[in-house]
Amino acid sequence: MPQSTADIADLIARTALRDRAAFRDLYQRTSAKLFGVTLRILRDRAEAEEALQEVYVKIWQRADRYAAGGYSPISWLVAVARNHALDVLRARRPVAEDIDVAMEIADLSPDPEEAAVGAGERARIDACLGELEGDKAEAVRGAYLDGFSYDELAARHNVPLNTMRTWLRRSLLKLRECLSA
Amino acid sequence: MSTEGEQGGRDEEDRVLVAEFALGLLDAAEHERVGRRIAAEPLLARELTLWRLRLSSLDREFAETPAPAGVLDRVEARLFPPSAATAAPAGFWNSLRFWRGLAAAGLAVAVIAVGVDLVPRPPLTGPELVAALEAQGSDVKLIAFYDKTAGTIRIAALSGDAVPNKDFELWAIEGKNAPVSMGVIALNAKANVNMPATVKQGFGAGTVLAVSLEPKGGSPTGAPTGPIVAAGAATAI
Repeated sequence: MPQSTADIADLIARTALRDRAAFRDLYQRTSAKLFGVTLRILRDRAEAEEALQEVYVKIWQRADRYAAGGYSPISWLVAVARNHALDVLRARRPVAEDIDVAMEIADLSPDPEEAAVGAGERARIDACLGELEGDKAEAVRGAYLDGFSYDELAARHNVPLNTMRTWLRRSLLKLRECLSA
Repeated sequence: MSTEGEQGGRDEEDRVLVAEFALGLLDAAEHERVGRRIAAEPLLARELTLWRLRLSSLDREFAETPAPAGVLDRVEARLFPPSAATAAPAGFWNSLRFWRGLAAAGLAVAVIAVGVDLVPRPPLTGPELVAALEAQGSDVKLIAFYDKTAGTIRIAALSGDAVPNKDFELWAIEGKNAPVSMGVIALNAKANVNMPATVKQGFGAGTVLAVSLEPKGGSPTGAPTGPIVAAGAATAI
C-alpha cells in the first residue's frame, strides 16, 4: 500500500469519533483496495460495487471496534470487505449436504502451547505456504483470495469433492504447525 | 500436532474448523455455528486471530481497482440522511458556490443555528417576523424586522464596519431557491429595504436573510460572489 499505516489508523480512529471528513478521506485512500477485494471475490462488477457500498457503511458503523493490536489497519479494512463478500457468496450458495462437518465437541482443554501472536511473524505464511505442495498452496490461496468453495476448488483441481476436502484440511493442519513453529 | 488420544484429535478438528472458518470455506449454517463457538470460546478466538493475522499477509495480492463513481455519495446518503429540520438549509448551503467563498474567507456560518427555524410552520396570522443576522468569525451583526403592511424590511446594524471599495448586499433565500438580491445596504444607518415582489410573496418564518461582501455597487452576477458575513432566518415573535 502506498499509504502510510499510521495515516490509515488515524483515519479509522477519527472515523470512530464520527469525523465525516476523515471517513471521506479514508474512502478516497482505501476504496481502490477494497473494491479490488470485492471484485475479485464476487467476480461481478455490479455486485462488487454494491458490496463496496455495504462495506463502507460497516466501516463507519464499526470503526470503534478496530483495535491496533496486531492487525494492520489496511488488513482490518480488507477483512471487513472480504468477510462481507464471502457473506454474499455464502448466501447464494446451496448448503453442501455432502460435506459432513458437523462435529460434537464435548470439552476443550486449555492449550498451553498457544502463544500470543506477534505481528512481525506475519510474513511467515509465505514460507509456510512454500512448504506445501504447489496444488495445495494454490488451494489455500484460492480460498482466501478468490473465496472459492470446496466445490469450486475440487472442480478447478479436477479432484472429487471429498478428496479436495481431505487434502485441504490436512494442508491447513500442516500450515498451522508451520505457522506456530 | 500429532498428539495421540481423543483430546488431541478434538483440538486438531477445532483447529481445522477455525482455519476453514477464517478462509470462508464453511457453508452458511456451519459458518454461523462455528462463529458462535468462536465467540464463546477464547481458545478458538485466539486460534482465529492467529489465522487471520497470518493470512492477512496475502492481502497485498488483492489488486487495487478504482472504485466506480458514486459509491461514496450513496454511502453518505445512507449514513447521513438529511433530517427534516436541516434538509432545506443543507441543500441550499451545499448547492451554492458562495459556500466556497465563505470557507475560503475562513468564516463559518452557524448553519445549524440558522436552520433551527426552518421547519415548515403553519401560515402566520400576524406580521411579526424578525431575524438576527450574524456569522461566526464575522463582526457584522444586524437585526431585520419585516413590515408586512409597508412591504419592507427594516434593518439595523448592531456592529460591523464598512470595508473600503466593498459593499454589503442583502439577500433573501427561500427554501432551496437561489438567493434573491434585495440590494446594497449600509452598515452605519438604519434602512428600509423594499422587497422585490418575488421575495414578498414567499416571505415567512424560515426565510433566510443573508449579507455578503461584494464589489462596490453589489454583485456583478446577480448571485452572491463574496463571503457571507451574516445570516439568519426570519422567526415569528
